[in-house]
Amino acid sequence: MTAKPPTPPMTVNQTPQPSTLDVSVGPQHPGSGHCRILIRVDGDYIVSADPDIGYVHRGCEKIAEYRNYVSNIPHLERPNIADAIHLNWGYVLPIQELQGVEVPPRGKYISTIAAEMNRIMSHLYALAIMQGVFTGHTTIFMWAFGDRDLFIELAEMLTGARLTYSFLAPGGPRRDLPYGFEHRLLKLLDYFEKRLVEYDRIFFSNPSVVARTKGVGVLKREEAMKLGVVGPVLRASGVKYDVRKVEPYGAYSDLDFDIPTFEEGDSLARFLVRFEEMKQSVKIIRQALQKIPKGPIARKAPLVAPEGEATGRVESSRGEIAYMVMGDNSDKPYRVKIMNGSFRNLIALPFLVRNVHVADMPVIYGSLDYWPVEADR
Amino acid sequence: MSETSLSKEETLIDRLKAQFPQAIKDTKIDRPLRVTVNFEKDHVLEISRFMCDELGFDHVKGVAGVDFPTQKRIEVLYFVGSYSKPEVQDLIVILKAELPRDNPTIPSVVSVWQSAHYHERETFEMFGVKFEGHPDLRKLLTQDNWEGPPPMLKDVKFPEMGQR
Repeated sequence: MTAKPPTPPMTVNQTPQPSTLDVSVGPQHPGSGHCRILIRVDGDYIVSADPDIGYVHRGCEKIAEYRNYVSNIPHLERPNIADAIHLNWGYVLPIQELQGVEVPPRGKYISTIAAEMNRIMSHLYALAIMQGVFTGHTTIFMWAFGDRDLFIELAEMLTGARLTYSFLAPGGPRRDLPYGFEHRLLKLLDYFEKRLVEYDRIFFSNPSVVARTKGVGVLKREEAMKLGVVGPVLRASGVKYDVRKVEPYGAYSDLDFDIPTFEEGDSLARFLVRFEEMKQSVKIIRQALQKIPKGPIARKAPLVAPEGEATGRVESSRGEIAYMVMGDNSDKPYRVKIMNGSFRNLIALPFLVRNVHVADMPVIYGSLDYWPVEADR
Repeated sequence: MSETSLSKEETLIDRLKAQFPQAIKDTKIDRPLRVTVNFEKDHVLEISRFMCDELGFDHVKGVAGVDFPTQKRIEVLYFVGSYSKPEVQDLIVILKAELPRDNPTIPSVVSVWQSAHYHERETFEMFGVKFEGHPDLRKLLTQDNWEGPPPMLKDVKFPEMGQR
């Protein structure tokens, strides 16, 4: 096949040589997700790579202009069903800002609990598929997926849906904590903390996993900042940047937690950042359940947003996700712009996979936790 | 307001205005931590270089186009943030340029902010904005055989989705 020329600014050797071969990885999901990566190989080494995305593009931003603010909620969280609360929350924040609606404290706490549960679920998904399967480790795939289901069941108890919750609307969450939820969640957290120790033993300290990931795909601190990557990828390169601390939303300003960072910037560091973040999420949920105030959970919000624009952001599992919402005095947004972690981390892929073995590409791709649907929107 | 009590938003605006008295048309503090700067599009490279090198705004979070067909203009919004300077990490600066709708061109900022690479490609595809000097300006998200106008323009309508 004739490959398109690879993306120039990141490539070292763009012109095809007699010794190079162009290979199309994907889009039929051989570990590339729903995107295609065109790689140029020289022997067993990747010379350059060009991600060809858009296979799951469905025009979310265009559709959003046709729907009213509330009916936009379900479809704007669809791009990432593993992380629906954060996509939902990021979209609701700027609308509330335009409308001047403030969520009551109890609503903020419930949103925070739901969001941190979702972060654990999303990181477990990443641990199972993106890290476990892509390094050829089937046990962690089964374990993490099994434990993720326990959180999914509790999320269903809270929101009524397993993955696509549509839980937060302008004004606050749709439901209060159900009877018995707190008890079940605390029990699950006790169990989960024991499991985290076992995860460490079987996966993160496993010599075969460490051999596959340590020193593979190193993104230095300066490069990470220059490329504008975000989320766990950024924090694995030693930049302490998390929206929950930088610009606290929800109940995060009341809660005590750390932002795990690593200096190495390799695939193992990116794996470990997510692992440490799960521990922090457990800590956050415990505190939130203790401190949660009584009172109303939501305020009534108008269906119309006034003219103007607002930008809101939250820290999703894949990094900062920001929404710009432009209102025009009607019940439909004039423009919605989604800036998400997957799309911003895409630039790191061609940068990291050059001059590595072909066999290392799935590991690097998995360590970025790239979600094609989120990036394509 | 005295010099000492200037907020960081105001300090930022003052520095930008002092450096570019001609190029900056209008500034606004939308709310704490959000600054919108309207500027003359031909000066985008000088402004971005100054923001990157002097003010510490080292990455682009996104590039958005907004179409205003009745006013015959397309706005390009650069959402700029900082990783390297802790005191302005929480700011989002929105650089806004107005382009004529019949020929929307603007110099590319990829030479300053490499992180804008894919964002500019997306805006080129969705709004037809030509980023001059972009190293690799080609389609990104739409299918290869899409031949219509840039799909995010307001005059591209999808009646099956309802009224707009």
